[in-house]
Amino acid sequence: MKKNNYPEAKLFYADTRFERQARKPGGTERKNAIEKAQAAVDDLKVDFGVWIDEEFNILNAALAELEGDPRDKGALERAHKSCSQLRDVGGTMGFQLVTFVARTLCDILDAYIGGSPYDKEVIACHMDAFKLARLEQYRHLQPEDVPEMTAGLLRVVELASIVPPEPGK
Amino acid sequence: MPGMKNSTINLRDLVILVADQNSYLRRVVNGMLRGFGANKVLEVEHSNGLFQALSSQKVDLLLCDMRLPPHGGLKLTRTIRRNSDNENRTLPILLMSSDTSESTVKNARDSGANILVAKPMSPSGLYDRLGWIVFNPRPFVDTATYFGPDRRFKIEGYPGGVGRRKGDKIIDVAAEEGPALDQSDIDNLFSNARSGQE
Repeated sequence: MKKNNYPEAKLFYADTRFERQARKPGGTERKNAIEKAQAAVDDLKVDFGVWIDEEFNILNAALAELEGDPRDKGALERAHKSCSQLRDVGGTMGFQLVTFVARTLCDILDAYIGGSPYDKEVIACHMDAFKLARLEQYRHLQPEDVPEMTAGLLRVVELASIVPPEPGK
Repeated sequence: MPGMKNSTINLRDLVILVADQNSYLRRVVNGMLRGFGANKVLEVEHSNGLFQALSSQKVDLLLCDMRLPPHGGLKLTRTIRRNSDNENRTLPILLMSSDTSESTVKNARDSGANILVAKPMSPSGLYDRLGWIVFNPRPFVDTATYFGPDRRFKIEGYPGGVGRRKGDKIIDVAAEEGPALDQSDIDNLFSNARSGQE
């Protein structure tokens, strides 16, 4: 049998301090731990409305700059950062639709970073969707609860993500 | 995540580092961890702060955003794992990402992360992933090209029992990112399905 030139792989259990300590008795039982964690999240919800409005304003400002100059990479990065933050936290804090709209807008901003042409109507329809998703009566809804909006935004992402071929290619 | 429903984990006195540029998300994760019983939670917003924290004290668990600026969670994980002089080399690393395409999850696994948690996170989702690291420890593999938790998987064969036929040709196709995976699919990609350790 032909032998390769690599030395044998070493296999070992690290048994880290994290694993040893976490297995020790005295921890918080799962159900209780999750309830306490959820309570901590609920406490943060008090000022989440303020945070989401601030983040929305930052996003709005960055998108306005982008509209002025679609090649402004700084504005594009600021918009993407702000949109990502809305996407990553919304669902945890009970704003499921905000996460969905932010996710589709992030996909579009990714497409712009990748060379797709800027389209202000695409941005405008997402900002309208954000305003709707922020409302108390909509924020708990899942994307499947508003199928028209969901299908519309996904279709917009599909169309906006097409990178046109370079002339002559 | 089977087997986690009745598990209790003890996070008291463990130093847990949360690395994410989103200050609100750090507060949320910090709150969750304290709800689980953790009392030493540190936060950093970029990778420079992360390395500073790792070099100035012993950290027991790292929760790191996949897109942590400026280096990103994958590169950071590889850096931590590959440095043989680094005392944090076997540090449990939990990557957090909103991008859960199969390629991203596989990249996270191949970088040496212990697990990937999909954003937005829930308390139960986070607790169960921590429990998975504790109660289903994977051996570390040290080779010339990889250092990290064992990535080997049982080959299940082709779907429906259909194998590759003699006349089939191998063709190159473009890389497919694929649809977003849910957390159970992500867990499966990280599971060690070696014989007797499923």
